[in-house]
Amino acid sequence: MVDKQQAVGGLTRRNLVKGMGAAGAVTALSGCATIGRNRRVDGRVVVIGGGFGGATAAKYIKRANPYIDVTLIEPAQTFYTCPFSNLYLGGIRQFNEIGHGYDELRNDYGVTVIHTMAEDVDPVAHTVQLANGQSLEYDRLVMSPGIDMRWNAIEGYDEAAAELAPHAWKAGTQTQILKRQLEMMPNGGLYIMVAPPNPYRCPPGPYERASMVAHYFSQRKPRSKVLILDPKDAFSKQGLFTDGWQQYYGDNIEWVGLSNDGRVTRVDAARREVETEFGTRHQANVLNVIPPQKAGWIADRAGVTDASGWVPVKAATFESQLADDIFVVGDATVAAPMPKSGFCANSQAKVAAAAIAASLDSRDAPRPYFTNTCYSLIAPDYGISVAGIYNLNSDGLIQEVAGAGGLSPREAPASLRAAEAQHAHGWYDAICQDTWGTRA
Amino acid sequence: MISINNWRTPGTTLALGPLLSLALMVFALPAQASWQGFDAVASILADAEQVHEQGLALEMPLVSEDGSAVPINVKLDHPMTEDRYITRIHIFAQGNPNAEVVDFYLSPALGRAEVSSRIRVNESQRIWAVATNNQGEAWVTHHDIRVTVGGCLMTAEDNSTIALSQPRVALPRSFTAGQPAEIRTLVTHPMETGMREGPDGNLLPRRLVERFVVTLGDETALEVHLHTAVSANPYLRFFLAPQSSVQAQFVWHEDTGFEVEEQVSLSL
Repeated sequence: MVDKQQAVGGLTRRNLVKGMGAAGAVTALSGCATIGRNRRVDGRVVVIGGGFGGATAAKYIKRANPYIDVTLIEPAQTFYTCPFSNLYLGGIRQFNEIGHGYDELRNDYGVTVIHTMAEDVDPVAHTVQLANGQSLEYDRLVMSPGIDMRWNAIEGYDEAAAELAPHAWKAGTQTQILKRQLEMMPNGGLYIMVAPPNPYRCPPGPYERASMVAHYFSQRKPRSKVLILDPKDAFSKQGLFTDGWQQYYGDNIEWVGLSNDGRVTRVDAARREVETEFGTRHQANVLNVIPPQKAGWIADRAGVTDASGWVPVKAATFESQLADDIFVVGDATVAAPMPKSGFCANSQAKVAAAAIAASLDSRDAPRPYFTNTCYSLIAPDYGISVAGIYNLNSDGLIQEVAGAGGLSPREAPASLRAAEAQHAHGWYDAICQDTWGTRA
Repeated sequence: MISINNWRTPGTTLALGPLLSLALMVFALPAQASWQGFDAVASILADAEQVHEQGLALEMPLVSEDGSAVPINVKLDHPMTEDRYITRIHIFAQGNPNAEVVDFYLSPALGRAEVSSRIRVNESQRIWAVATNNQGEAWVTHHDIRVTVGGCLMTAEDNSTIALSQPRVALPRSFTAGQPAEIRTLVTHPMETGMREGPDGNLLPRRLVERFVVTLGDETALEVHLHTAVSANPYLRFFLAPQSSVQAQFVWHEDTGFEVEEQVSLSL
């Protein structure tokens, strides 16, 4: 980690080298840096999106080579993370504790941060059009556009319906709507979650959310229940979740999978009613519909999505397969078996940053490794995790490194679950520090 | 790590290695007429007077993160009249231990040549669809799918002993005479392949729903043959275009001789 005091006013070679050790690429500071009008610029990079992927990419490009000009485009002054937004719903984190700003990028790394929306990308002219009227030229573009909902993929679930039956799958106002609805729900009410089909952001997220809502109910509304309607027959860490639910919430969480008519085909948001594939109707007091997803819309504008609605990338660098000089990281990409997680976005962003710094210096990109850990809380003192290490196979595709990583054990003492819950908080603090330089 | 795929257990993974290499070789073949190297498809097309490589749509994901239930939809814009109709639609998974996946035997009563199911895809590989009509024409298409089952997927329980039960049929709210309307069916059944180890380390005996038959009045409207690669709790979607109000019978046949049925009135 670069020490903040030292970093102010430019990086020294010593801590630059130290900081880049993990990514395996070290830029030799060749040539002579001059200041003033003839400021040295080794390339112009625009980064679209200030989440885990975008903020990390901006920072690590600067860490690789502070002479690369980096501009970050992000509409929000404060970015609210999906990770730990479930803990806010569960009443064990405050909303402001999942918000992060851009002071470190701006002040310590010299990134130009523009709070506006990127409206269009011209991959041929290498320009990005902004909502504030500006047009930016780039040598390399990083896109970390996250996800968008596929409105009307479930009949009746569109943007207007999401105001009544929130998805809360992008943290922010949506999360607050859901929290308010849970708070206003009477004791004895039914919370229904419509879980999403693969692939989607944060594979264990819906099940952690069900846990956190059930935890909130156990504290405030003990006669209330959670029903999960799922278009899948299997989900991330399923056995671990099922065990934990049984221990903490008993019959108060019910999961109905695809084979038991769990796939919702119609939503009536005004009545908070859903209908499944085989005609079963369920009525909720609070209805949380997490719909099918796709890459954030700006990826479409840049022409980097394929027929699946997601972005195919070259796994070694995360450069788009469809447009040169555009690197795409995070949930928008096809990176399976890596899950769509904040940690993966952070890890992919470091790979892209190293590749961009190398390419602007006419060097080959280092060979990447990726890491991921997903912690989920089932109760405040009961955490579970899955960890994975990834590299490239002989075809250049991402593969999970056999024997590395793994799941929390199925049978474990309470002390291990409690320790993993602590680790979850530690993980969150560390990844936010690494990404935005912020700490809740 | 627990595998979610019904026929892949840690004990059988090694044996499937050669199949993976087979699948990779297939990708290297030219797209045109590569079915000639795949006997299951080639033998059907050898009987056809004319083979079309355009027109048959095979819709499924490019990447699946859960190879145990991959949605698949096959459709062809083709008349479904007594004179001219699609007679058969076959699906094959070239890299699966058993390439046959599911066979649909259609009739004009369906009104539309479109069928769907959920299937098991063992490894990244090429999936094929073949359709034939009653005039000697055939259609063929394929789709390459990448299967990347993440390590964090795990099933909660073993379902191998569950009996054939709970037939479900979803019908449209109403039918219009001669207009195709969507029918969805689901039945509870483990679709044991005979290739999966049980908790005691022994192979669980093969037990499949092998046949599904739809009858309108006295006429067979649709017959489906299911193989090991149809997902547990078989899901089948198709169309029916009844000409008048009629009694419909849906029967699922297990290979043990056991069967369950569902009777419904289709009213115009």
